[in-house]
Amino acid sequence: MIDRRLIENIDWFLIGLLVLNSLLGVVVIYSASHYVPGNYHWRQLIFLGASLLALLIILLIDYKVLMTFSFYFYGAVVFVLLLMLLFSRFISKGSWIRLRYFQIQPSELAKIAIILVLAQLFAEYKRSHVSGAAVVASSGLVALPFLLVALQPDLGTAVSFLPLLLGSLILAGLRRRAMIWILILAIFAGIAGWNFYLKDYQKNRLATVVFPSRDPQGSGYHILQSKIAIGSGGFLGKGFARGSQSQLKFLPARHTDFVFSVIGEEFGFLGVVGVLLLYYLFLWRLFRSAAKSRDRAGVYITFMVSLMIAFQLLVNVAMVIGIFPIVGIPLPLISYGGSSLLANFLGVGLVLNVKMRRFANI
Amino acid sequence: MEKNRFYEDLSLILSRTHKASIVIGLLLLLLVFFCWKIQILDHKKYWTQAEANRTRESVILAPRGLITDRNDVILAENTASFKASIIRENCRDYDQSLAQVGRLLEISPEDLKTRITKYESLPLFRPIVVKDNLDLKDVSRIESRRLELPELIVETDPRRYYAFGSLAAHVIGYMQELSAPELKSEAYPDRSLGDMVGRTGVEKQYESILVGADGRRLEIVDSQGRGRGETSRSEPTPGRDIQLSLDFDLQRKATQLLEGREGAIVILDPRSGEMLALASFPTYDPNKFVTRFSPQEWMDLINREDHPLENRAIRGLYAPGSIFKLTMALGALNAGVITEQTSFFCAGSVHFYGRAFNCWQRGGHGALTLTDAIRHSCNVYFYNVGRRLGIDRIAESALMLGLGEKTGIDLPGEKEGLVPTVEWSRSVRKSDWYPGETISVSIGQGPLVVTPIQIAVHTALVANRGRGVIPRLLLTSGSSQDRPATKAAGGTPGEKIRPDCFETVIRGMWKSVNQEGTGRGAKVDGFDVCGKTGSTQLISRERAEKLGKEIKTHSWFTGFAPRDNPQVVVTVLVEYGGMGGATAAPLAKELFALYKEKNDRPAID
Repeated sequence: MIDRRLIENIDWFLIGLLVLNSLLGVVVIYSASHYVPGNYHWRQLIFLGASLLALLIILLIDYKVLMTFSFYFYGAVVFVLLLMLLFSRFISKGSWIRLRYFQIQPSELAKIAIILVLAQLFAEYKRSHVSGAAVVASSGLVALPFLLVALQPDLGTAVSFLPLLLGSLILAGLRRRAMIWILILAIFAGIAGWNFYLKDYQKNRLATVVFPSRDPQGSGYHILQSKIAIGSGGFLGKGFARGSQSQLKFLPARHTDFVFSVIGEEFGFLGVVGVLLLYYLFLWRLFRSAAKSRDRAGVYITFMVSLMIAFQLLVNVAMVIGIFPIVGIPLPLISYGGSSLLANFLGVGLVLNVKMRRFANI
Repeated sequence: MEKNRFYEDLSLILSRTHKASIVIGLLLLLLVFFCWKIQILDHKKYWTQAEANRTRESVILAPRGLITDRNDVILAENTASFKASIIRENCRDYDQSLAQVGRLLEISPEDLKTRITKYESLPLFRPIVVKDNLDLKDVSRIESRRLELPELIVETDPRRYYAFGSLAAHVIGYMQELSAPELKSEAYPDRSLGDMVGRTGVEKQYESILVGADGRRLEIVDSQGRGRGETSRSEPTPGRDIQLSLDFDLQRKATQLLEGREGAIVILDPRSGEMLALASFPTYDPNKFVTRFSPQEWMDLINREDHPLENRAIRGLYAPGSIFKLTMALGALNAGVITEQTSFFCAGSVHFYGRAFNCWQRGGHGALTLTDAIRHSCNVYFYNVGRRLGIDRIAESALMLGLGEKTGIDLPGEKEGLVPTVEWSRSVRKSDWYPGETISVSIGQGPLVVTPIQIAVHTALVANRGRGVIPRLLLTSGSSQDRPATKAAGGTPGEKIRPDCFETVIRGMWKSVNQEGTGRGAKVDGFDVCGKTGSTQLISRERAEKLGKEIKTHSWFTGFAPRDNPQVVVTVLVEYGGMGGATAAPLAKELFALYKEKNDRPAID
């Protein structure tokens, strides 16, 4: 099933960047949580090992095979999400299913199923522009898990399904380029309005209205503390495990959603640029992998995975520096959390899978 | 890519991925720009905020200076009190927590909320006092719920305590919390919300001596407000003690004598102006202000008809009545319009300007000389004196003798009274001065009003044969520059009056008390009291008769003793007390007697 040529074609550089970013996460998690019980850094290291193993296993199976089973994966995920919603009192807590030793977040893994099913849908789609039927079909496929997850309620994870839909539609060819520009303009207008037009209490109200699942009392406090942490870091930062904002627990969710604030506080602007540069390298490598795909489905997979990670990165950073409302989206690879890490590793695994099988009929 | 020829053409969608990746790159760049703004441009602001976050400054309250009387009786001191405070930061559920705390401390949730709203501007970790003066039961109830209610804590505080409560309330004054507008004013630069400040009396007058400087403690804290060690500490400087000239025995006696009446008593030492007692009744308990009133109690107190908060001794304005005859006599003697031998005939009433002016003695006093006119307080005699003197010279001598202006006592809020003149009538009252009014003023009626402290100082000036004094409460404060200014030597207006005028008037005052005059009620054997009574009519006798009911007059007595070596001045005013000789003079007698008894007793140490 797997032979030497395939192994030779594995993009070890990409795996290296992936693991490097994740190890950086472990270090920052240590700094953000070593003074509280829970051993989060050790646990994250175990998740990292497990995710790496999962990534290697997924390389064994041709992505074409995975795609043929994609509707089963998708169906299974939707079924689990539905069960969680219906019997939430017995098996789950919000977006989590409690197992004996750990919890898993099926909504994270749903991303992989959505990527595969969308790739399958568009695999033979050769028109230069997307048709209405395809838009309806793909939107429907995303909307179902989106609603189920949003109702959990976990709007953050649900929202991170949207770039997958958007990505596939972009590739299939949105007829009006203008739509893209309008979208970008809308984002800019939103950012500008958020920063310059709305008053703090209005922002809080808006945040409460739009993102009710987040702690409404705390959102203003969280943004403020996060900005204080990042801003007080300055150019060089306060040093590893020496940020007063994080060490004295002023920062909320220090090892999860707000891990970037810890980086900003302890490693300064230099650290922030360093981390973002490393990330840029990783994303650049991911995006460029699309060209190393032997077929249309491979391009779709690669692009959607890249967008998935890029979107989470952008939204998370924008959120912690206070230019985007607080939605529960973690910093991919760096934030503490096994399910998110596993989903991202599996995604990258799919990209590697596509890339190593770029030569037909091996 | 030669090999791609074998595969389908993907160049279109690949170019789309390429464009998207560029957009992503640009957005990343934008984020870097924002980080640059926060971390480099606004660094200082956030750095300061982070420092403020991690450090907490707490105040170590400085104990306020003690207030004692001249014999070291402590009138105001500090005791420890327990108070319950809420730390909002530790509330898990704000409303629920308020409900629980309210139940525990028996405060209605509305009151609790109002109180907390008042201090909203404080940082979340600063405790807000919700109940003062906890008893031990409350303290143990709170302590036993430490784990359930981490937001509720017990703090101890130095608390102002007035051991004698209402007995010297108007002198000592009371303390209240600073209001938010006051904090913004420049008057209280170093104070913070929740601090108490002297509101009236000595507590206000000598605030700057008493207050001391609070200490500060800088601690590193975590987000839960838990201390992680102290970084710096400055010790509080206690306020300085002050000793008042009050003699608490006299003060207590004076207050007790007024019990059940409305009025004021002033006792001072004419030699120095030192105040020995200053009582005003009804009174209040200044401790109530420290322990914080309930809104209802406060409204009841300020709306009471008899105004217990008002210090009648320095703020009550009364017609001096016959007391003013002393002023008239001095003015007339000095101006030369009469001599000691000048006599007038009193037939019970006299006609001037077409109307009758009555003497209080309906049958009349017959022919009287000045000293006897003072002794019997004959109105008709002084109607004649007033007619000779005229309003302008009356006003001149009244002002010369300290009426119509503040005495300068070291208490806030003193009133200056009013000495009417023709000029005043035109410019303030906007009406002409009628000659008949001069006749009324001659016996201390009409628009003329004075305060009891003015009468006491006036009496001291007479006792000193012309040397005026400034009454003062402060005896020592540990630093000499805090003493109130005394009038420059030789410049007292009273000294413009010839000394023999005083001797004549004093003789009349002596007769009044010791020779069956109107002031006989104040006679103390072996103490040579000289005094003058006054009964100020609130409405005319005719009108009272017409109304068919008795409206009692204000009852005055002022005097000093002993005659030749004056040591003490006593001034008594009882509102609606009736005749001065009947009500005020006997009260003065008791105070003269107590003073004599205390001074005859050899000092124990």
